[in-house]
Amino acid sequence: MESKDDPLHIRLGLSPEQLVAGLRTMITARETDDRLWLLSRQGRAHFVVTSAGHEASQLGCAWAIHIGHDYVIPYYRDMALVMALGQSPLDIMLHAMGRRDDPSSGGRQMFGHFSSRRLRIVSGSSSVGSHLVHAAGIALAFRATGERDIAVMGLFGEGATAEGAWHEGLTIAGIHQLPVVFVCENNQYAISVPQRHEVPVEDVATKATGYGMPGVVVDGNDVFAVYAAARQAMDRARAGEGPTLIECKTYRLRPHSNADDDRKYRSAEEIEAWRARDPILRFERYLIDHGLLGPEQLEAMRREVRAEVDAATDAAEAAPWPLPDSLTDHLYGSVSR
Amino acid sequence: MPVLTFLEAIRSALHDAMAADQRIIVLGEDVAVKGGVFLATDGLLARFGEHRVIDMPIAEAAIVGVAIGAAIHGLLPVAEIQFADYIYPAIDQILNEAARLRYRSNGDWSCPIVVRAPFGAGIHGALYHSQSVEALFTSTPGIKVVVPSTPADAKGLLITAIHDPDPVVFFEHKQLYRSVRGDVPDGMYREPIGKAAVRRSGDDLSVFSYGLMVHYALTAAEQLAADGIDAEVIDLRTLAPLDRHTILASVAKTGRALIVHEDTLTGGVGGEIAALIAEHAFEYLDAPVRRLGAPDVFAAPFADPLEAHFMLNPQKIAAAMRDLAAY
Ligand SMILES: Cc1ncc(C[n+]2csc(CCOP(=O)(O)OP(=O)(O)O)c2C)c(N)n1
Ligand SMILES: [Mg+2]
Repeated sequence: MESKDDPLHIRLGLSPEQLVAGLRTMITARETDDRLWLLSRQGRAHFVVTSAGHEASQLGCAWAIHIGHDYVIPYYRDMALVMALGQSPLDIMLHAMGRRDDPSSGGRQMFGHFSSRRLRIVSGSSSVGSHLVHAAGIALAFRATGERDIAVMGLFGEGATAEGAWHEGLTIAGIHQLPVVFVCENNQYAISVPQRHEVPVEDVATKATGYGMPGVVVDGNDVFAVYAAARQAMDRARAGEGPTLIECKTYRLRPHSNADDDRKYRSAEEIEAWRARDPILRFERYLIDHGLLGPEQLEAMRREVRAEVDAATDAAEAAPWPLPDSLTDHLYGSVSR
Repeated sequence: MPVLTFLEAIRSALHDAMAADQRIIVLGEDVAVKGGVFLATDGLLARFGEHRVIDMPIAEAAIVGVAIGAAIHGLLPVAEIQFADYIYPAIDQILNEAARLRYRSNGDWSCPIVVRAPFGAGIHGALYHSQSVEALFTSTPGIKVVVPSTPADAKGLLITAIHDPDPVVFFEHKQLYRSVRGDVPDGMYREPIGKAAVRRSGDDLSVFSYGLMVHYALTAAEQLAADGIDAEVIDLRTLAPLDRHTILASVAKTGRALIVHEDTLTGGVGGEIAALIAEHAFEYLDAPVRRLGAPDVFAAPFADPLEAHFMLNPQKIAAAMRDLAAY
C-alpha cells in the first residue's frame, strides 16, 4: 500500500522505469532541439521552433495519455510531447529536414507540425488557436458513436487564448461537458509580446470559469505537478465528468524560433533566473536524490542520446527528398469527375 | 417518383443518407429543435436524436471546426451555416484546415465534411442575407464547390457530397427552396460531383450558369427561340472542379460563350471559365467571350428598386444573349 510518506513518484503511481525513460525523453528532446539550432546556423535546417524549457510540461502531459487511444492535438512547441508519445529522433529530423519519409507531413509542413494517425496525433496548421475546435469535434463524435473511456488533449500557448477559435473550442467543450483536456503551456510571451499585453488576467486558468470547466494552475517545470493535474483531468474526462483547462507556468529557454532575437524583449537576467529552474536539471536531481539513477548512468545516458541524435541527423540528411512530381499528391482523396 | 420542392429534396437527402449511414451527423444553428431557419433539417432530430442532430451556438468557426474534428474521428458531418453571408468567421477553418488536412499530413488524415449554406438574393435579404460567396472558395484546392439548381440535383449532389472523401462546400439558393419543384428519386440517389448538365441543347451560342440563374437563362433561351436563335444552356452544378470537358465541347459546337452568374462580375467564377475558354477553345470562337454578373457592389441592397437593379433577370440575360448571337 502507498502511504503519504512514500516518495512522490510512488504516490503518483509512476515506476522507476517510467521515470528513467521519461528523463531520457526529456534529454533527447533537448539534445534534438540544440542540434536543430546548430543545424539551422549551419544552413542545414531551415527552421526550428524551440521546445527548450517546456519539457516537463510536455512529459507530464504525455504520461497521462493512453497512447494510440486518446487523441492529442499538439502545437508547434510540443516536440518533447510527441517524442514521449513515440516519435523518434529520426522521425523528428526527417520532419525538420523536409524529407520524403517525414512521418508528420512527408516534407510538406515546416518543423513543428507533428502528426501521426497511428499515434492519434492530429495534424495541425500554423494558424494559432485554430485546433481546439477540432478537439471539441473529436470529443463530440464520441457521443455519436457511443464511445466511453476515451479523451482528447489539446495544447497551446497563452497567446493562443486570445484567438476567437480558441474561445469557440472551449465554449463547445463546456456546453456539452466533453472529454477534452485543454493544456496551456504558458511561457509568458507570444513571440515578443509579454503576457500582460495578451491575456487580461493573471492566470489563464481563471478563464475556465467562463466555459463551465475547472481551471488548474501548475508549475510547468515540475513534471510531477503537471502529471498529477493532467492525470486527474484525463481520468475525469474519460469518466464522462467533463473538460478541464490546465495552465502550466513555464518559460522557453531559447528565442521563439531561429528567426527571432529575444534580446529585444527579454533581459539576460530573466533568462538566467529561469535557466536555474531548468525542468530537466530538476528532474535529474529528483532521480539522483532518490537513488533511481547514478551520476555515471546519467552521463552514459547523455552520451547515448547524443549518439542517437548524431545518427538521426546523418540518416535524415542522407534520406531521399520528396519527388518534385509528388507536389500535387493528396490534394484530393479521389477526384470525382 | 415523388415531386418535391428544392427544400424537400435537401431534407430528403439528409434523411435518407442519415438513415442509411450511422456516421452522418448534422450540426448548425437552429438545426435541431427548430429544424433550421428554412426548415431544411426539419424532422431530423425526432428521427435521429440529439447526438446526431446538434444545435450549435452562434460560432461559425466552431460549427465547421467541430465538423472537422468529428470527421477526424471517422464521422461524416454535415455542417450548416445559417446564411452564406456568415461563413466568413469559418473561412480559416474551411480553407486553412479542412481543405489542407489531407495534403499537409501527406494523406494520413482526411476531412470528409459538407458545409451547407443558403445563398443568393431576390428575397429582400439585403446586404447580409443575400450574398453569393462561392468565388471565395473556388481558388483553393482540396475542397469542392457545388451549387445545384434542381430538386433532383439538390438531393443527388448532396448525397454524393456527404460520401465524398473530401470537404465539399454546398450552396443552396434561397429563392429556389420553395419556387421550384421536380421529380426526385427515393432513397440513396446520387449525381456526380464535377459534371455539368446540359439543360437545353442548342447550336447558336452557349450559356454557362449555376443556381437560380440557370432557370432565368432557360427562360431567356425560350424567348430567343421564338426569334430563331437556338441557345445551349449548361448548368455547371460544380464550380470546383469545373467540368472542363463539357464547357469546351459546348463552345466547340456553338462558337459563342456567355457566362451568367448572380455573383458580382469582378473576380467571379465567370473569369475563370472565360480564361479556360480563351486558352483551350480560342480557335472555335466566333465572338469574344462574354460575362454577365451583378454590378460590383456587395450584394443586393434592401430597397426594391436597388435590389431589382442589382439582380439579373431573364430579360437582362436575353438581351446579352441576343447581343452575343448578333456579333
Ligand atoms: C493566427 C496566427 N496569427 C499569428 C501567427 C504568428 N505566430 C506564430 S507563434 C505566435 C505566438 C504564439 O504565442 P503563444 O500562443 O503564447 O505560444 P508560444 O509560441 O509562446 O508557445 C505568433 C503570433 C500564427 N502562427 N497564427
Ligand atoms: Mg507563449
